[in-house]
Amino acid sequence: MDSSISARLRAGVTTASAEATRSLAAELAATLPPDTTLALHGDMGVGKTTFVQGLARGLGVREPVTSPTFAIYNVHRGTTHTLVHLDAYRLEHERQVESLLLEEFLTNPWCLAVEWPEKIAAWLPANAWHLTLSIVDSDRHRVQLR
Amino acid sequence: MILGIESSCDESAVAVFDPAKGMADEWVHSQIALHEAYGGVVPDLASREHLQHFGPLLQRALAAVPAERISQIAVTNGPGLAACLAMGLSTAKSLGLAWRVPVVGVNHLRAHAFSPFIALHAAAPADFDAEFAKLLPHLGLLVSGGNTALFSIDESRRIRLLASTMDDAAGEALDKGAKLLGLGYPGGPQVEKLATTGNPAAFAFPKAVARRSSLEFSFSGLKTSLRYQLEKMTPADIERRRADLCASYQHAVFDQLVRKTQLALERGDCRSFGLSGGVANNKTLQAGLAQVARRQGVPYLCAQPQHTGDNAGMIAFAAWAEREAGGVNEAGLALQIEPSLMLAGG
Repeated sequence: MDSSISARLRAGVTTASAEATRSLAAELAATLPPDTTLALHGDMGVGKTTFVQGLARGLGVREPVTSPTFAIYNVHRGTTHTLVHLDAYRLEHERQVESLLLEEFLTNPWCLAVEWPEKIAAWLPANAWHLTLSIVDSDRHRVQLR
Repeated sequence: MILGIESSCDESAVAVFDPAKGMADEWVHSQIALHEAYGGVVPDLASREHLQHFGPLLQRALAAVPAERISQIAVTNGPGLAACLAMGLSTAKSLGLAWRVPVVGVNHLRAHAFSPFIALHAAAPADFDAEFAKLLPHLGLLVSGGNTALFSIDESRRIRLLASTMDDAAGEALDKGAKLLGLGYPGGPQVEKLATTGNPAAFAFPKAVARRSSLEFSFSGLKTSLRYQLEKMTPADIERRRADLCASYQHAVFDQLVRKTQLALERGDCRSFGLSGGVANNKTLQAGLAQVARRQGVPYLCAQPQHTGDNAGMIAFAAWAEREAGGVNEAGLALQIEPSLMLAGG
């Protein structure tokens, strides 16, 4: 990972609009190694799907990225990575991730973005990157890499 | 007669449609009570439930309509949860093999698109083609927990997508708003109930998307603005003003649906408007859209309550209504599930 963005994210970056959150994610996407899992922590409304929209842009995904809540996960083919966008909110056990057959869609190189990762903590790879999103105040959101 | 089978999500449903007479009957087993505890549908629980319920549902259907009278089986082949769709498809194919009747795949979203016309058919089955033709081209709004789309149906009954959501679906925005407000599942109906006693102008949620000249929808910003609002309030304040919050938030969601519909109708090329999908049951939304249609001078149609959620009646009806428009999948026993099927191309 590019040291500058990694260092900035470790310190925590505050964004002042949804578009700024997307740009930050796109910047991160450009430096992602192949086969990376991003665990996106944070409550409803903090900007997780917005962040994934930016990731998608950075990975060269052309189609719109919408909420995966209904379908559990969406697969997007980008120019640099395949993006799999998973919403684990309704999963209760790690065993349920197995039944989604995600591996079939994680074609190399891939990026797996997981919303509500704490629901499937034991299933996540040990080298997953954990990002925490939160709200500072109206319009200002914060993204921090653990 | 056409036997319809639907299992795309958490409803197991069977219906029998007679093109000469209308809907013979329909049967649904809902899993809402089961999934309530989880705050949403859990895929592998849902598919087990389908396995359990299709047998008894079909027994009831066949007690009412003898198998010899079924000439076609129509089954939802997408979009939906893969494991759930597979249950419906294997049921449909088994029956098709046993009865030696054709099996066709129906796009669940397109079935919603045609659902406002089921009542038109029921009123006078013999006149349906002529009456339907008078309403085309048609503008439709599909609003549910998983989809929000404006589309048209042209004179050849072909569907074209005009706009859809950029992020969350409208029903999802209501469900997630309900969750932020501490209400139960499914959230939309609870927001509607509380909203009836609240003031829709009490809180101002952003209207920027609604006022844009593009037809595309976006609801995730509204959800975030509700969150901002709640963070400024104490739990006691939220409790006391819950009805006002519900009314204002619901108003912001519906304002976008109503304004985009008006924009599309103002283009002037549609001769009728139809509302479909689970959120179509909301009386406030119905009133807002009926008013827009009236102002534009086009007939307003709305799917009947039994055809707004997931149901098999609309699947059987669409298999018939769309038969010559190329919307029905005739792969028969080779039919595949298509979990990410779209309403139509742009």
